[in-house]
Amino acid sequence: MNDPPTPTKTSVTNAVTEDVRILLTSRPWLLMWRRRLGEVVSQATALTALVVIGVVLTILSPHFLTYVNLSEVVVDAAVTAIVAVGETLVIVTAGIDLSVGAVAALAGVVGAQLMVDLKLPWPVATLGGVLLGALAGFVNGGLVSWIKLPPFIATLGMMGVARGVTFLATGAVAVYGVPTGFTVLGQGYAGSIPVPAICLIVVIVIFGVIFMWTKLGRHARAIGSNQEAARLTGIRVGSYLVLVYVLSGVLAGFAGMIAASRVESGQPNFGVGLELDAIAAAVIGGASLFGGQGTVAGAIVGAFLIEEIRNGSVLLNINSYAQDVIIGVVVWLAVAWDIWRRRHITERARAPATADIPRTSSAATPPVHEEPGPRT
Amino acid sequence: MRRPRLRRLALAAAVPLLGIAACSSGSSTPSSTSSAGSSSKALTLAVVPKAIGFDYWTHVEAGAKCAASKLGNVTIDWNGVSAETDVTGQVSLLNGYIDRGVNGLIYAATDIKALLPVTARAQTARMPVYNIDSGTTPQQVPLFATDNLKGAHDVASLMNTYLHGQGKVAIIEFQPGTMTDNQRKQGFVQGLTAYPGMHLVADQPDGSDASKALTVTNNILTANPALNGIFGSNEPSVIGASQAVRQRHLSGKIVMVGWDAAPDEVAALKSGEISALIVQNPFRMGFDSVIAMTEHIRNGMSVSNEDTGVYVVTKQNMNQPAYSAILSPSCTNPPLPSSDPWLKYVHMS
Repeated sequence: MNDPPTPTKTSVTNAVTEDVRILLTSRPWLLMWRRRLGEVVSQATALTALVVIGVVLTILSPHFLTYVNLSEVVVDAAVTAIVAVGETLVIVTAGIDLSVGAVAALAGVVGAQLMVDLKLPWPVATLGGVLLGALAGFVNGGLVSWIKLPPFIATLGMMGVARGVTFLATGAVAVYGVPTGFTVLGQGYAGSIPVPAICLIVVIVIFGVIFMWTKLGRHARAIGSNQEAARLTGIRVGSYLVLVYVLSGVLAGFAGMIAASRVESGQPNFGVGLELDAIAAAVIGGASLFGGQGTVAGAIVGAFLIEEIRNGSVLLNINSYAQDVIIGVVVWLAVAWDIWRRRHITERARAPATADIPRTSSAATPPVHEEPGPRT
Repeated sequence: MRRPRLRRLALAAAVPLLGIAACSSGSSTPSSTSSAGSSSKALTLAVVPKAIGFDYWTHVEAGAKCAASKLGNVTIDWNGVSAETDVTGQVSLLNGYIDRGVNGLIYAATDIKALLPVTARAQTARMPVYNIDSGTTPQQVPLFATDNLKGAHDVASLMNTYLHGQGKVAIIEFQPGTMTDNQRKQGFVQGLTAYPGMHLVADQPDGSDASKALTVTNNILTANPALNGIFGSNEPSVIGASQAVRQRHLSGKIVMVGWDAAPDEVAALKSGEISALIVQNPFRMGFDSVIAMTEHIRNGMSVSNEDTGVYVVTKQNMNQPAYSAILSPSCTNPPLPSSDPWLKYVHMS
């Protein structure tokens, strides 16, 4: 797949010219290595913050470092983390998905209705909820790829549509009466491990593989780094973008079903602000809103950091408005760190060779340098 | 101020300041010439909830239509927007009714300020306006609503009774910043001050999201293992909090008092997980406001604010007729106390 661009294509656009000149004049392996290093540094920072806050909370509250509380944090974080993984995949393509919270709510209530009103077996209804998420993602992807709407607008529209349909489908009344079996998904235990944690692990494994070892993962990065260059190297950008939004929708739908199971009902108000938590988690974990960078591990660490802050705030009885302030400041810090990192680690590699070339794109790695190796 | 009608309405709006207690204790306004409905002038009253579809609002509709059928020659035009947050939608809907010239307007304000011009416009058009459930600030027209402060006071007193005067309690709020949330919290906190053995140890909001209510309740229970009681201040708060209590196998060990009566809340009341539910009376809001407006138009009755009251429903009383009426209100089994000042204008039989 990764055919290198032939020199004849260099005249097509300025951006591509620039990329190819970078390619010809700098040391690509160094650039790649710098970028990987940048990601690793971001994750290490977030992980350090996670541990430090954990230590502080352990000192401040005797209840933090207990099995009950930590498993609670894991279960709470699972929903956010699953959504954040899909969000990260979208962000890697330099897109954004604002609809995940509303889509999760839609999947939750419609999934619950399939069980309650149509009496479908709960696994089938759960699958139905997930497929609805996929459908919403497909529409998002189609609007972005084929109608060429900016991702922000496409998914902002979907946010309204999904939330509106949720209210229309339910009359804004929660759907009660789900079968007992369904509660396994959100409340069950396998041994001493909560089922949502297992769901999260499955998502991590599957999407870890997708990010690291599949064409989709590599191409998502290529598209996010430089969409035009990706197109010129023969990547079917449109189809891959649709697939990325579908996967984000699938994960939102799945998270919505887990949440519905946790409260044994389809709640139309679920997930207001979830998209912001998911974006914050991705960014804290090192995903760059400029595209091209982001990992599953980062999204997970970011989601846990957010959940840890929320958990700690309640344990310490901190005013709930202050929680949002804290998380907002953490997001600022993470993005400021991201920008500093780009300037001093990622892009330094190219600086000597390209100092005389005016840059038009802030993250212009040629996709041809995407090596097939693992990159967590 | 050329129109005497406006003056009278302004007066009617001033009366409630004195009138809530008098009205809720059943003493009605004077000049009661009960009218034989069918011989009276035909009226069309628009009744507009915050949003259509909610269980709660369907009870308002049932109450309004029940009153209309008993009064005779009164038609209810029931319509609303689909989301309680659609303030501009409600404004244009109400303006439409004013333009069409219905005989009176009864609505639940989706915003305490944004609906003021609508009320003023209707009054200029000499159209009587009442608010149900939620009013405006300033409240210039009669309001038929739950006294949230009083209901939340009841919750504090219930907690005290269930916990025998000693205990740590928590409140799960829903939307800090809305009037109902503020009043319920304020009433609960004020109510608790009367009981020196009762301590509020945690207070967290959930944004009307049951999942968030589940999470914060779990965290509160972790931080306060000796917690004795939880007040869930609206439906999602109660659903999430009672899930947390159940999943931690604390059912029966923690006193749960909730607000509203969604199916799962009633089921949890039945199973003993919830000790008591504070249930509002939307049926009465619709019923009383329609009768009051009809009497006002036909017989010049003056109308003031009314506390439509709350019921404290428990496992023990939930099957008694008065309480089953409030849980599933209908025109054949209306949840109306005998002290309801407007009952005497209709024949319920």
